[in-house]
Amino acid sequence: MSLLHLAIIAPLLYAILVPLFYKSFRQIHTGWFVLPLPIILFAYFFSYISTTRHQAIVMETLNWIPSMGINFTAKVDGLGLLFALLITGIGSLVILYSIYYLSKTKEKLNTFYTYLLLFMGAMLGVVLSDNLIVMYAFWELTSFSSFLLIGYWYQREKSRYGAQKSMIITVFGGLAMLGGIILLHLMTGSFSITEIIAQAHDIVNHSLFIPALLCVLLGAFTKSAQFPFHIWLPDAMEAPTPVSAYLHSATMVKAGIYLVARLTPVFAVDGLWVWLVAGFGIVTLFWGSFSAVKQTDLKSILAFSTVSQLGLIMSLLGVGAAALHFPGVEDNLYIVATTAAVFHLINHATFKGSLFMVAGIVDHETGTRDIRKLGGLMHFMPITFTIAIIGTFSMAGLPPFNGFLSKEMFFTGMLHVLELDLFNFQSVAILFPIIAWIASVFTFIYSMMLVFKTFTGKHQPEKLDKKPHEAPIGMLISPTILASLVIIIFFFSNSLLSENIIEPALAAIFPGLLTEGTGFMVHIDIWHGFKPELFMTLGVIAFGILLYLTYPKWRKIYKLFPDKLALNRLYDGILERAQNGSNRLTNSYMTGSIRSYLVYIFTFFIIILATSLFVKNAFKLDTSKVSSIGIYELLLALFIVIGAISTVFAKTRLASILLLGAVGYMVSLFYVLFRAPDLALTQLVIETVSVALFLVCFYHLPKLRKEDSRVRFKLMNALISVGVGIMVTLIALSAHSNKFFQSISQYYIENTYTEAAGKNMVNVILVDFRGFDTLFEITVLAIASLGIYGMIRLRLTRGDEE
Amino acid sequence: MNNLIILPILIPFVTAAILIFFHKKVKVQRWFSALSSIATIIAALVLVQKVHTDGIQSLNISSWDAPFGITLVSDMLSALLVLTTSIVAFVCLIYSFKSIGAEREKYYYYPVFNFLIVGVNGAFTTGDIFNLFVFFEVMLMSSYVLIVLGGTKIQLRESIKYLLVNVISSALFVITVAYLYSVVGTLNMAHISQRIAEIGQPGILSVIAVLFLIVFGLKGAIFPLYFWMPGSYYAPPAPVLALFGALLTKVGVYSITRTYTLFFYHDQGFTHELLQLLALVSIIAGVIGAIAYWDIKKVIIYNIIVAVGVILYGVSVMNIDALTGSIFYLIHDMIIKAALFLLVGIMIAITGTSNLKKISGLIKRYPGVGWTFFISALALAGIPPLSGFIGKLLIVQGGFEGSSYVGAAIVLMSSLLVLFSVMKIFINGFWGVHRAYENEDKAPVKWLLISPVILVILSALYGIGTEAILPYISQAAETLANPSMYIDAVLKE
Repeated sequence: MSLLHLAIIAPLLYAILVPLFYKSFRQIHTGWFVLPLPIILFAYFFSYISTTRHQAIVMETLNWIPSMGINFTAKVDGLGLLFALLITGIGSLVILYSIYYLSKTKEKLNTFYTYLLLFMGAMLGVVLSDNLIVMYAFWELTSFSSFLLIGYWYQREKSRYGAQKSMIITVFGGLAMLGGIILLHLMTGSFSITEIIAQAHDIVNHSLFIPALLCVLLGAFTKSAQFPFHIWLPDAMEAPTPVSAYLHSATMVKAGIYLVARLTPVFAVDGLWVWLVAGFGIVTLFWGSFSAVKQTDLKSILAFSTVSQLGLIMSLLGVGAAALHFPGVEDNLYIVATTAAVFHLINHATFKGSLFMVAGIVDHETGTRDIRKLGGLMHFMPITFTIAIIGTFSMAGLPPFNGFLSKEMFFTGMLHVLELDLFNFQSVAILFPIIAWIASVFTFIYSMMLVFKTFTGKHQPEKLDKKPHEAPIGMLISPTILASLVIIIFFFSNSLLSENIIEPALAAIFPGLLTEGTGFMVHIDIWHGFKPELFMTLGVIAFGILLYLTYPKWRKIYKLFPDKLALNRLYDGILERAQNGSNRLTNSYMTGSIRSYLVYIFTFFIIILATSLFVKNAFKLDTSKVSSIGIYELLLALFIVIGAISTVFAKTRLASILLLGAVGYMVSLFYVLFRAPDLALTQLVIETVSVALFLVCFYHLPKLRKEDSRVRFKLMNALISVGVGIMVTLIALSAHSNKFFQSISQYYIENTYTEAAGKNMVNVILVDFRGFDTLFEITVLAIASLGIYGMIRLRLTRGDEE
Repeated sequence: MNNLIILPILIPFVTAAILIFFHKKVKVQRWFSALSSIATIIAALVLVQKVHTDGIQSLNISSWDAPFGITLVSDMLSALLVLTTSIVAFVCLIYSFKSIGAEREKYYYYPVFNFLIVGVNGAFTTGDIFNLFVFFEVMLMSSYVLIVLGGTKIQLRESIKYLLVNVISSALFVITVAYLYSVVGTLNMAHISQRIAEIGQPGILSVIAVLFLIVFGLKGAIFPLYFWMPGSYYAPPAPVLALFGALLTKVGVYSITRTYTLFFYHDQGFTHELLQLLALVSIIAGVIGAIAYWDIKKVIIYNIIVAVGVILYGVSVMNIDALTGSIFYLIHDMIIKAALFLLVGIMIAITGTSNLKKISGLIKRYPGVGWTFFISALALAGIPPLSGFIGKLLIVQGGFEGSSYVGAAIVLMSSLLVLFSVMKIFINGFWGVHRAYENEDKAPVKWLLISPVILVILSALYGIGTEAILPYISQAAETLANPSMYIDAVLKE
């Protein structure tokens, strides 16, 4: 195990210690024990920058199941490192924030930090594993740690609902992704991403390529909350705010983005990938921003905003994937889209992280997150207000904040779609910049609402539970750091990020584009002249302000969309109907009556055997080996049939028992006819004893109730019983007519006397050749007698039992 | 020839016989059973290792040469199943100490328990088709007794159904063996395989194969033959239910696997397609049942049907990956189903009900039970690195390789609904507002929790230590894929 592996699983191992810290040091907030770990890890991963900026890759393998090609191969390249830094960096800030956010006396901090560390380790595993199966394992672990964190306040109905919803949707995607991984393995014989990428051009025409692509995308889209799978994310906001900031904004929801970026070299060879990723991304972008405007809960606004921003990054990755279809990196128009995606990923983590923390502070200090109750907080919490301004303006795409830069690049990327003449893109290309622009207007509106409805306007103390005041300094540290980054990145993006982070990440996304000696040259301009992008931004601001001010006039459009068709309703409906429907369906055939069960079983018996006989043409009647049937046999058979039928129709128990006994005696007469006197004797004894026993038992039973004298003739049941008889007979005749081999019984005939020293072959078979059978048949009798004794003597019936 | 292979049958057999004479001495019964159970585990472990190093072991009872006498055969599949059975038996046994109640203990609970293990281990070990029937009878008779022992109303009502269905299926079993004997003239399983191979499975044998599928399907609870199961399994107390859920249906599954890989593999287009269809419908019917109820016992019981379907789907695909996956999954399911039933038993012991709507907030007072349940649930759904994953992975992989895309997709997606069904128990039963229950202080939760914890640890080790276990499983699958290995081991000695 290398140090790298240790770094990945360190949070998982550390998670085990958390309950110990909690128990032993109740006076100290458990978060303080946890905090050093992500800081150390951040420093550790930071040291890798010097490696990755020279396009070097670090790979370490720890064997897990080498014989199936499943090994824990840790790989650090530009893309993985970017995520690792986000995970540990934001992780540190969130933990610091949580120390002040979660009370050490009221909350169960042990479980909280255990889950959080589980998540951190899992997430590091996802982005640093080169083996797809290992990545899948970590992927599911992120889903489940997220499930546990959303359900952290498990007494609340809504938390449980949100937890279950996120689990169902993300695990569904995870399973689909697993299917895709297996298909990739089938085509390439490998689970290693590196090896699969190397074979990308050989598998593109494979018939399983498209299914694999779709499966993998399902995984990515569900995890990254792309339309229409985004519905779990708003409900995930039931988690404590530090969790929302960390998992549901900065890291976990970006796992899908990571996956798409990571597998771009495999799948982007096919135009469908570009179409789907860009298409779903842009729709999500619009829908998220459009829906965010109508929310009234601070965290709900942020949730839909996250959905929308994830869509933005996704669409950029989709458009950027087109770069693979053009040679080189010099004049490749589409690389800018991917660059923007990577850049915006970082920017989003900074401004959205700070905004979530602001929402948490507002909630913590006022007791509500409802913007209808809030207002005028500017005077009470000036620092929080400043942070909020920075975060929201960056989100809206205004200078001098980092969001402006990536937003402009985003517009550039979308405008390049117009020039894309691949995969029939021309027909709809114009839609991309248009939707992008409209969505940006909505983004502007909700950003403004977020900050101004909360911090300006009239203060409404009567609607608040608490008297608002500025948050404690500890709670402000993390959002302040993030907000500072928002500004610093704006001014120093090139020196800080371009070479160190973005170029190595691009190299990891497009390994095939680089030739010897070339590299991605990322240069981010703050000012690039009067270009369409700038006018688009100006338009966004103008329209945004106009619509923001007139919002009460046009908010009705949200009512136009029928509530019944909402995706949430669909989800709830499916879930409820699936359960109720299953219940009705299962109850409809599970009647509890043995009669109906036997009807099903025998019906199946008849149909399937009749079909088999017919399809396999297996019925055969060979009378050559059959001895002639005499009058005695005929008569006996007739009596047996009559006896058996009469048993069913007998009016009293006594009569039916006697008839049953009579049938038994007839059967033993058959043995006599076939010259097996010992068997006949045995059978006679058995029949006599059982008839006697039956009589003794039934003596104690009440009279056979005369249900109604005219038993309805049940055609179905009659047909079934006749059918079973016919099938058994037909197969018996065929089996008899198909004797392919000499039976082993010849051996017994020859050896009974010489080897086993017995004269009666049947006896010798029973006690010697197959004595083992007999031993256990006797055992069966013994068990039965124990059971009967127990049944008679022991009655535990309690009143409350059904 | 190796006498070792009879030990896992003999030890519980002798134990049961001796314990009959001490039926009032509960302590003797408990500890003697526990010790003998440990001895069985050790014997099974040695056997597994022996088979691993020296190949298939066989024993001709009374030294009558195969195929004329009865032969016991331990290939890797059977040795592994015997080992798993012994382990599951042990944990159910110690769980019984504090849950089954002194009255049942005095009325031959432990002897019959041991007889059940005799039947199960015997069925896994025998190499003779009629002897298989005999061990089925031992197992079934013990299960009749266990299901009715205690004589509560629900037990009496459900055992009559259980008994009727099984008596019918036993009758069919004998009939089917008779047909087979008529056609191939032998009972030794290796010999049957050899003879069928010689004539290339004509139509009548395919029909007999379908009959075997019905007979074993009735025990294994596949669609459409499982109707008796949910009701019957609902009746007995938790450790018995765990034993049934983990072992009995698996004997049916094992028998189908054995006959469909050793005898009837010449007409796969017909027999295995049919098996596949039934397996897939079982999965679907199982998940539908599992999500349909708010009764914690029923949820897990319907999950049995899902697992049976998944395993048999792998068998029906019949390539080496799918077979390996099925064996992996079979053993996993025995372990994890036992764990889940025992955990459900604890929940019922605490709350006095199995109605999920009346249970909530258990995790506050019983975090240990909650987390053990949570991990079991993940394992059941096949979340890596727990035990269910590799099996499912291989089955799906095998399915895709065999171009059975729809089937593999059903197996894959069934995991989601399985997860949903058990997580429903976690979300509503363990989470939620804490409640107090009338008799909860009487429940010996700590003791009862030992057994499921052992099983969950095994499940985790089974998943994480896949590399160490894989050679054994592969060996088992290889034998299934090459019937000649089995035949040679039995007939050429």
